[in-house]
Amino acid sequence: MNQPSIDLIASFLSNHIRPGASSDQIAGSVAAACKGIEAALAPVIGRRGGAALLSRSLEITAKTHGWVEGVTEGNPSDIDIEGFASSIARQTPANAAAAGQLFLSTFNNLLMSLIGPPLSWRFLRPVWTSSPGGTTAQDTTP
Amino acid sequence: MTTHVTIHRLPTGIPGLDDILGGGLPEFSFNLIAGQPGCGKTTLAHQLMFAMATPERPALYFTVLGEPPLKMLRYQQQFDFFDSEAIDSSVRFINLSDDAIAGDLDRLLKRMGDAVMQHSPAFVFVDSFRSIVRENEAQVGAQGDLQQFLQQLAMLMTSWQATTFLIGQYTCETDANPVFTVADGLIWLHQSVERNSMVRKMEIMKMRGQPSLPGLHTFRIGSAGVSVFPPASVAVPAKADAALAVLAPRLPMGVPGLDDMLGGGLPRGYSLLVAGPSGSGKSILAAAFLAEGVRNGEHGVIAAFEQNPNRSRNRVVADLIAGGHVGLVESRAADLSIDEVVFMLLREIQRLGARRVVIDSLSGFELALAPTFREDFRESLSNMVTALASTGVTVLMTSELEDRYTDLRFSPYGTAFMTDAIIVQRYIEVESRLLRVMAVVKVRASAHSDQLREFSIGADGIHIGAMLSGQEGLLGGQPMKKRSLAPDSVRPA
Repeated sequence: MNQPSIDLIASFLSNHIRPGASSDQIAGSVAAACKGIEAALAPVIGRRGGAALLSRSLEITAKTHGWVEGVTEGNPSDIDIEGFASSIARQTPANAAAAGQLFLSTFNNLLMSLIGPPLSWRFLRPVWTSSPGGTTAQDTTP
Repeated sequence: MTTHVTIHRLPTGIPGLDDILGGGLPEFSFNLIAGQPGCGKTTLAHQLMFAMATPERPALYFTVLGEPPLKMLRYQQQFDFFDSEAIDSSVRFINLSDDAIAGDLDRLLKRMGDAVMQHSPAFVFVDSFRSIVRENEAQVGAQGDLQQFLQQLAMLMTSWQATTFLIGQYTCETDANPVFTVADGLIWLHQSVERNSMVRKMEIMKMRGQPSLPGLHTFRIGSAGVSVFPPASVAVPAKADAALAVLAPRLPMGVPGLDDMLGGGLPRGYSLLVAGPSGSGKSILAAAFLAEGVRNGEHGVIAAFEQNPNRSRNRVVADLIAGGHVGLVESRAADLSIDEVVFMLLREIQRLGARRVVIDSLSGFELALAPTFREDFRESLSNMVTALASTGVTVLMTSELEDRYTDLRFSPYGTAFMTDAIIVQRYIEVESRLLRVMAVVKVRASAHSDQLREFSIGADGIHIGAMLSGQEGLLGGQPMKKRSLAPDSVRPA
């Protein structure tokens, strides 16, 4: 069950967080993925539980990409998705894609390490199989 | 035609639990699973949920402010019953922590009601309910409108035909508490630690509409989840033919000459105690008993409680176990209860259709029990013997018996009264040699030999010899040659 989860996010990243896209597009995809993750996890582990995992992933991403913003002042277990997306949009497409990919794959690995690949796959499948525009990931492939 | 409503009892899927509940959980009941932290409440709730929920009769698991759901999901996955495939089909987790933090019970009730209406669950779990109470107390002081909330919640769940479980940390079961009043069922989990053993016990304090089993019942949490061990008297379905077993042909013991000493073999369904000092041949006799059963097409079960079973196990027994003819019940856990041992024995007896059971030895068995159960070891033994006898099996128990030459003892722990037959083995010294002797002390309702017979142990087992007719005072340990009654003999002063 480990592989399907990894395959899903790999497909999502290659379709939506690719260097060929504009920085704005990448920022939009990352923000949409974050909101999708929040929506998928909040009913199960609570809004705070999902935000804490996203925030931790952001901290790890910021160690490699120091320009990343979005950590909420005074609350390390929350995340400012819009601020994060804005900081991505200001980067070159290559930088934006690298940070976006690292952030989302870090989040996926973190969740898998905590609740295992099968449950991660089950909870996040809707996120990784939908594009920000609402079409399936495969549909956006050129 | 009866006009009374029929309350269906739902099988819980948890070994032993239905027995102590009085036949399962009443459908649509409103239950509280309570106990101290770490006693297994959440594990029991999850196991119930995964066992009972189906896609057609799903379960909702509301998490509130207790254990963080991430950690709960992480740890509960370690149990065999956790089925990831069931999530979002049979089982759905819903987190209510944001609503609970606000302490607004009306809002909380509405969230629960909305979810119930959306998913129409047959089972609802609220974990931890106690945290709702605490948050409410913090927000509005005292118990606020808790009683009203509880009654509304109970009414809501019952009207939606949901069997409901509140999970909560409570340390005192005697406190007046609204939830205790409203609940149809109160399942209380206890745990106690003594030295290096921990014993878990479950009590059904209340189960409306059905006679649950009173008292504390031991349970264990293993990789498969919770297993409850009902009292031996309940766990064993009495066999109708058990009482008639004694009329059937007697069992051969597998030791030449011993059947004659017993008056023609051991009556079927009897319990036999073989007592003797260390190394006297008790386990060898027990092995012969099992091997003879296998030769006659009867499977057996042996319960071994020795500290190092691999070293001490008899080759004959090892071969019988390896061949699948004899089932092995062993445990080196230091916190067993008598009910758990009976549970393990019965499982093996039923699996193999066994007719002969050996417990080797009672001394090891006593050491394997948790200290708290050793106090009433004699009573526990009696329960076990009675329970096994009611299944119709024939039981042989070995027991270490220190050789005391100053008094005549046949069994430790005062166990003689509870067994149907007793064989005693002893050492005696004759002409600077250590010899073994054996006697049949008792066979209930049967004639038997009163001879004290020498026996030896060879590569092929026990050989029973003749009486030492030239000796007297054998049970004193140092027999004397019988004196001649010749007229010229001189009697000592």
